[in-house]
Amino acid sequence: MAKIKKFFRYENVGMLFVLPAFLYMLAFVGYPIIHNIILSFQDVSAGNLVKGTRNFVLFDNYLELFGDSVFTTSLWNTLRFTVSCLVFQFIVGFALALFFSKRFSFAKPVRGILLVPWMIPITVTALMFKLLFATDIGIINFLLRSLHLIDKNIEWLTTPGTAMFALICANVWIGIPFNMILISTGLTTIPKELYESASIDGAGKVQTFWRITLPLLKPTIESVLILGFIYTFKVYDLVYVMTSGGPVNATHMLSTYSYKLSFEMFKYSKGSAVANVLLVILLFVGVFYIRATTEGEKE
Amino acid sequence: MKKRKLAALLTAVAMMTGILSGCGSKGAESAPAKDAPVADGAFAEQESAAGDAQLITIWYYWENEGHQATLDQLIQEYNGSQDQYAVTAKYVPFADFKKQLSIGASADELPDIAILDSPDHASYVDMGIFEDLTGKFNVDNYYEGTVNSCTVDGKLYGVPFGANCLALYYNEDMLTARGVNVPTTWAELKETAKALTTDSVSGLAFCSVQNEEGTFNFAPWLWSTGATSYDIDNENGVRALAFVQELINEGVMSKECINWTQGDVMNQFIAGNVAMMVNGPWQIPTMQSEAPGLNWKVTLIPKDTQYASVLGGENYAVVNGGNVDGALDFLTFATSEEKVKFMMNQFGYISADKTIAESQFAEDSPYYPFVEELNYAMPRGPLAEWPSVSDAISLAFNQVITGTATPEEAAAQAQATIDGIVN
Repeated sequence: MAKIKKFFRYENVGMLFVLPAFLYMLAFVGYPIIHNIILSFQDVSAGNLVKGTRNFVLFDNYLELFGDSVFTTSLWNTLRFTVSCLVFQFIVGFALALFFSKRFSFAKPVRGILLVPWMIPITVTALMFKLLFATDIGIINFLLRSLHLIDKNIEWLTTPGTAMFALICANVWIGIPFNMILISTGLTTIPKELYESASIDGAGKVQTFWRITLPLLKPTIESVLILGFIYTFKVYDLVYVMTSGGPVNATHMLSTYSYKLSFEMFKYSKGSAVANVLLVILLFVGVFYIRATTEGEKE
Repeated sequence: MKKRKLAALLTAVAMMTGILSGCGSKGAESAPAKDAPVADGAFAEQESAAGDAQLITIWYYWENEGHQATLDQLIQEYNGSQDQYAVTAKYVPFADFKKQLSIGASADELPDIAILDSPDHASYVDMGIFEDLTGKFNVDNYYEGTVNSCTVDGKLYGVPFGANCLALYYNEDMLTARGVNVPTTWAELKETAKALTTDSVSGLAFCSVQNEEGTFNFAPWLWSTGATSYDIDNENGVRALAFVQELINEGVMSKECINWTQGDVMNQFIAGNVAMMVNGPWQIPTMQSEAPGLNWKVTLIPKDTQYASVLGGENYAVVNGGNVDGALDFLTFATSEEKVKFMMNQFGYISADKTIAESQFAEDSPYYPFVEELNYAMPRGPLAEWPSVSDAISLAFNQVITGTATPEEAAAQAQATIDGIVN
């Protein structure tokens, strides 16, 4: 009896609370990841998925990847896509958040409307942008032609360089509201008194921004950037619908290339190796995020 | 204090059981949902009437409602004709079909029968999930290409469901207005397309997406030169790639074709944005209902040195872990001449059985040219690694269309990839 009582001490009951989530994570997050890691060290293809022996080939799949030009392109694409998107959506999102933190009529409803891009399913957004950027029937070419900025239609989605630009535009459009709303929330946590006393001391707008707003927003900005990185880095549906990795593999991301290898070409092991590269990169970012947020809490 | 702890504990336990039972009941519920028949009501009746009939499951990927209703009708007739087996069908979207079969294969949750795209057949045979059907069906009268697509190492692993191929559709009014004739050679095709191209109309279009669908549409051009899918880096292969590049560079075909599926191409054609297109017979029912006033005809794809087209269509395959006897019984029923005729006419397909196909359509039917084209149609593969070969080919024509490589470079690169796969 005493033992049972001892077991149900406060901390142990806490562990019981964690248990359901832990088991859930183990089954639905842990198992697939471990399975995927094992798969990437084997030589599984159509021939031995069901029957036949699966040989362990250790790092062969990974070594093969680094000699594969489509893989290196997709790794580079994923990085530049993520960085470009983060920069633009952060700057515009920040500016909008500052703008809507001012009190003026319609500030709140308009800010609400700006959230719409974040709520639309990504497939819908992707189809919309695919039509906007279409060569002959797209409204973007129509506008540019009407303004006499171009003579000939730009082949946005069928030229490697511009296709990436179109993808970034679409993703920035989705990402802006996400950045705006998180930074807006961060702004409301800064005490008004700080601004009041700063203005009494004679600080200008620019000075207040650099000395008060930015330093106090640091934890928020860190979260926004890191979460944004994770969301953007694993982009899949947008690319799949808009370009499917084309033209000529120019816009393949790690995620789309992994899917293509596994489910279109039946190279399961190679596909899972690509997925694991994605996982390792995101794991680093994730660890960085946890460290950044826990440090923020300690302060 | 004690009470609070107890409450906390109880909550934790409740949450645990919630999760566990949640999983359990979910599993139980999803099982019948997975095998949901096309028509729920009809199936329920069947089940109660048949009692302990054995379940036979079919997977298919036709999104066309007419196709689904036709398959359902066939299944109901079969279920009504005997009480040993009860067949149900499950729709799996085409984009997910390969993935679902792969996942099903590794998780041991496969249907008893799959109706799958013919070029993928060999890959799944290689996976070892299909039953050897040699000697169980008489396929002597079938088109050679269709039988080859489900034959591996001399053994028959499936039964062709129906055949289709690509041919050239043309907008007759546009041709008449410009006073040009129906093209029969590549040179004529280019001239005709040039004459038909205006500011708002492209002379020619065919799907050039960088995947199996695109390879399917490029194959007739490649094969017409005498090149094969495995031997591209030669005069013939380069000529095919150069021809496609010329069509793009001279503006008679839109570069957007690399983003157009066959359905998109058909929509552009019936909207009057495209004067000629390469497409398959399955578009005919839609075209007739969406654009009844459009005056179009079908002819053979113009040739370089020989007429060529590509064979498409589905095959029935029997999965070897499932209820093989039941599956065979259903297939025997479904491949009888009467049923094949019924299915093919409803689908707008051409029978894979030569004798049925030749009497299937009247000479003035839009389907008729496809029967003629079928004589020149060759299958892709069959090869377990076909998806990789197809990927190399589709990369090559995308490179020349986008101008990122010359035909010579693209051909050499594709050949290097293909040699690495085949040899």
